[in-house]
Amino acid sequence: MPAIIRAAGLVRAFGDFRAVDGIDFEVQEGEVFGMLGPNGAGKTSTIRMISCVLPITAGELYVDGLDVRFHDREIKARLGVVSQEDSLDEDLSVAKNLAVYARYYGVPRAVGRARITEGLALMQLDDRRDARIDELSGGMKRRLVLARALMNDPRLLVLDEPTTGLDPQARHLVWRKVRLLRERGVTILLSTHYMDEAEHLCDRLMIMDHGRQLAAGTPRALIEQHAGRDVLEVHPTEAQRAQVLAYLTSAIGAGGRTDEIEDVIYAFGTNDEQARRVATIVGDPYRVHFRRANLEDVFLTLTGRALVE
Amino acid sequence: MTTTTATRPPPPGPRTPVTGSTRRREWGVVPGLGVAIPGRQSFTVWQRNCDVFLQLWKAEFIPPLLEPLIMFAALGLGLGTYVQLTGDVEYMEFLGPGVIAMFSMFAAVFEGLWGAYFRLDKHGTYEAILATPTRPEEITAGEILWAASRGAINAAMILLVMFALTPVFGLVSSPLAILAVPVAFLAGVSFGALGQAYVSQARSVSQLTYFFSLLVMPMFWFSGGFFPLDEFPAWASTAAWFTPLYHAVELNRALVTGNIGWGDMEHLAWLVLVMPPLVWLALWTMRRRIVG
Repeated sequence: MPAIIRAAGLVRAFGDFRAVDGIDFEVQEGEVFGMLGPNGAGKTSTIRMISCVLPITAGELYVDGLDVRFHDREIKARLGVVSQEDSLDEDLSVAKNLAVYARYYGVPRAVGRARITEGLALMQLDDRRDARIDELSGGMKRRLVLARALMNDPRLLVLDEPTTGLDPQARHLVWRKVRLLRERGVTILLSTHYMDEAEHLCDRLMIMDHGRQLAAGTPRALIEQHAGRDVLEVHPTEAQRAQVLAYLTSAIGAGGRTDEIEDVIYAFGTNDEQARRVATIVGDPYRVHFRRANLEDVFLTLTGRALVE
Repeated sequence: MTTTTATRPPPPGPRTPVTGSTRRREWGVVPGLGVAIPGRQSFTVWQRNCDVFLQLWKAEFIPPLLEPLIMFAALGLGLGTYVQLTGDVEYMEFLGPGVIAMFSMFAAVFEGLWGAYFRLDKHGTYEAILATPTRPEEITAGEILWAASRGAINAAMILLVMFALTPVFGLVSSPLAILAVPVAFLAGVSFGALGQAYVSQARSVSQLTYFFSLLVMPMFWFSGGFFPLDEFPAWASTAAWFTPLYHAVELNRALVTGNIGWGDMEHLAWLVLVMPPLVWLALWTMRRRIVG
């Protein structure tokens, strides 16, 4: 089956600065594919190139088999885009926002009406049909943008940082909606700088930094390959720091490695016993965590930096 | 499904460089023109603005009715009693056609300048429309069409006021006056296009004021709407000739008085002929702003 998105050597330059610097990836039908990386990794530029809003500088980019350089209208007709900012039409009511959007897509009026009712129900906004946009909470706006992106019954849904700026409750509701859409077979491309979001939602993902692709695969494969099974996270006092590091370097040997971000030490390739020893050095069990590795640790391993600063 | 993971970043740099000639044809852009020809999506953009206007019509309809009334009262009844024009023309009669042109210009400029700027830069309206099968050129074309429509709507409403006042003040002397509405539309295309071109360069709301102070207000005062330009030095009336408003005022005056001749075709031709270059300028500058 042909990939819904195929990018090869994709580059986007702004003057001398390369926002996207030669990335290759494919998104298959029916999967949720994530782009995980900090701000400035090139995620939004990639999304804007896919949605034919930003021209590509070099490389190849095909959406549903169509070259983005020449098939902007056809591609846009097949995509649903949730941009980072809500960009709802504040001059129009909730339902009218959807109706006007359906009209941009040339959706027949009767079909549009049915999709509005369905979309509002799906996003739990039925009782807000006639509300003004400024009466909606942040989470409601996000869900409305999601409903809006579904007005053309897209082949591919593109979500640019879908939960940035939302409170935890609203976030979980958006996640639930995204999973619901995946269960319905919608192919989804999403960008995020939250590792838990990537881990929760994505079947496969690529980790990006400075316009480059650092690694790609399933969340589990990425974690196992780059961070191992467990991580020992230590929050020592300034005085204990050298002692903890000295112990860890001697104890874990060649198979492991330590990293530091601010005053936190991360040790990879450790075991229970070593965790207990570190706890006795630190003297406070709440400042020593022996836990499962996650995507944040993968990013740390690959870049030596934290995902969210 | 597991995928191979790259442990090292891929090599940088383009693999298949996009040459200049290929880029020209991207997204319908016509080589040599630098823009795509706007299609019927322009009307969908126009419809969006129209929907918003109709939604607020109660609030939107009152100012265009009140403003000319106030102006007729102040200038016609107040100032007008001191003004003696050459010939047997009453000042109110002279003022009427100018008011139609000037206030429809204001409507077009407000819509095409502040409205458009907020849709472009503050509310993300353009960004949202661009995600649908709509090209930047179609947004611009839709905005220009809408600015022109606002001008025409205002002209129609001022005409209504003038027809209503005609038994008292003799403002309208020919049914041809109704053609001031399409004239307002034609002039509105120029104002809308200039507005879009200016908005594409503006970086803040306060910069919009310059367009108003340096372009709109001088046109407002010196386009022959308030007083005949005959008494001015030649350079002033020459300068006026280069503004759309002057030609709209002159055309309106011919239509409202019914005193129309072939010479007035010059004004119509002017308004029609400046449209292609101004619209192109708007499409080109706004495309650069939106697409980069």
